[in-house]
Amino acid sequence: MEPIVRTRDLRKVFRRPQRRPGVAGALRALFSPAFAETVAVSDVSMEIAAGELIGYLGPNGAGKSTTIKMLTGILVPTSGVVEVAGLIPWRRRTENARNIGVVFGQRSQLYWDLPLRESFELLRAIYDIPRARYRVNLDEFIDILEMGEFLDTPVRQLSLGQRMRGDFAAALLHDPRVVYLDEPTIGLDVVAKEAIREFILRINQQRGTTVLLTTHDLADVERLCRRIVIIDRGRLLYDGTIEDLKDAYGRTRRLVVEFAEPQDHVVVEGATLEHTDRCTARFAFDRGAISADRLITALVARYAVRDVAIEEPDLEGIIRRIYLEGISPSEVLRP
Amino acid sequence: MGHSLRLDAYLQFASKAFQREATYRVEVFSEIGSLVLRVYLIRALWTALYAHNRAPANLPLHTIITYSTVALLLSLIFEVDGTRQLREKIRLGTIATDLLKPISIPGSLFSDGVGTTLLHAMSVIPSLLIALLLVHVDRPPDLAAGAAFAAAFALGYAVNFLLNFCMNCVAFWTLETFALQLVVRWLSDLLSGAIIPLTLFPGALQGVLLHLPFAAVYSTPLFVYLGLIHGQQIGRALLEQIAWLIVFSGLGAWIWSRGRDRVVVQGG
Repeated sequence: MEPIVRTRDLRKVFRRPQRRPGVAGALRALFSPAFAETVAVSDVSMEIAAGELIGYLGPNGAGKSTTIKMLTGILVPTSGVVEVAGLIPWRRRTENARNIGVVFGQRSQLYWDLPLRESFELLRAIYDIPRARYRVNLDEFIDILEMGEFLDTPVRQLSLGQRMRGDFAAALLHDPRVVYLDEPTIGLDVVAKEAIREFILRINQQRGTTVLLTTHDLADVERLCRRIVIIDRGRLLYDGTIEDLKDAYGRTRRLVVEFAEPQDHVVVEGATLEHTDRCTARFAFDRGAISADRLITALVARYAVRDVAIEEPDLEGIIRRIYLEGISPSEVLRP
Repeated sequence: MGHSLRLDAYLQFASKAFQREATYRVEVFSEIGSLVLRVYLIRALWTALYAHNRAPANLPLHTIITYSTVALLLSLIFEVDGTRQLREKIRLGTIATDLLKPISIPGSLFSDGVGTTLLHAMSVIPSLLIALLLVHVDRPPDLAAGAAFAAAFALGYAVNFLLNFCMNCVAFWTLETFALQLVVRWLSDLLSGAIIPLTLFPGALQGVLLHLPFAAVYSTPLFVYLGLIHGQQIGRALLEQIAWLIVFSGLGAWIWSRGRDRVVVQGG
């Protein structure tokens, strides 16, 4: 199937005037300005199939927002190819706008002084949504997002959770084919987060809307996405499933053992003892070298064991390692 | 990047602006008192000035009071600057979210300004009626002059919008336009005929001022209203307004596209 979002060697370099200190510096800058170049996005190639729900991850300043801005058409790439639903976004910004929806967790798109209902009505006119379609969508969103109570409250008086729900409805009223969600759960409490996550899943599954989700909350990602794309310093580090990432970067598992009686000295072949307090012990082992099954069998043969637990590597730990240590491009996995 | 002209969206912008402004009622009511006071001051000032000076030809006292009162009403409309939002949008970066919509931003600003103006115009009606008890305001000499005034007013409104729009677009480069606007505002108050009719300026200066874009905003509609220009002169004045309209449309479109590209290429 043709991908709905496609980038090839996408690159964005910002050229900004550089300030020199002092009055003399300011004067010099006036006559011979110096420019500093920052590579925000470098050779990013990815394809997203229609109906996918992808997590787009990276530390602050990695180039996520710059990529999204190029996908929305409000930023022109320095070089490379970008295509969304068959259009080049920056060439056909307004046409592209009809195909996409955007939610920024940090910035509302609703009209501050107007009740939510009025904002929606304005969006109906802006996107020229057929009345019948508008009614169906709005009723559905009011129902799922439980917006009935605050539909007539001015946006500036809404809580963050209510405002976010309003923003989601606003971004989806015109049935966009692709939705970009930029940190949509930031600052929300656990209940509100879960409501938003369920809504994202729902529109992805029931409407087949393609979703590109940017977040720092890995719980969002684990709950919603199968595939993730990781970017850092403008470069693509990983593109594949969460499973594969865990397999590749999280080979170390942990085995926590509770003994029936205190042990002075515990040793098991193929595992490293990390911690012990006589009654319990924690081992680290490489899942590629030894299976948990064999390890437990070996332990039980030698000691009286009351309980065992296996700790899987967690995504957060893996991602932290990747952000801190990076991955060389040759290691980049592709699905 | 062609925008399909969907009137509905722009009417909505105007109507939403109207509703938004209506929520700030205190402001609306405070304007009413101020209008009555200002009309009273106009009468007092010109009456005192005329009592001790010889009245200029074609500007008898009742004409100058009419001039100043109508100018005051025009200023209530022209001072509503729908494009001021643009400066805020650029400064705060929210212009990016507007660019995500399939809509013309200048068009939406214009509609927003019209909506705001309508509310302000409506809110001054009661005070206008009170004010008219204080002063006698002449009517346009005939129906044709009245119609020409409506046209000159509409053109002046458009030129004023474009002037403001161009100025606020400067924020794309400087982020702040307050000082520039203050200076232009002073100049325009003085040179547009908003306070003093341009015919009271010395000959040579008058000749220049009458052909500046500022005159197209205030002076032209006012001269038409008072019957200070007739027949062909009206036609020429309207043509001049149209010329400024074209010039500033072009300039506005150019600055806007440069400014937008700046955001779009440099990321604001």
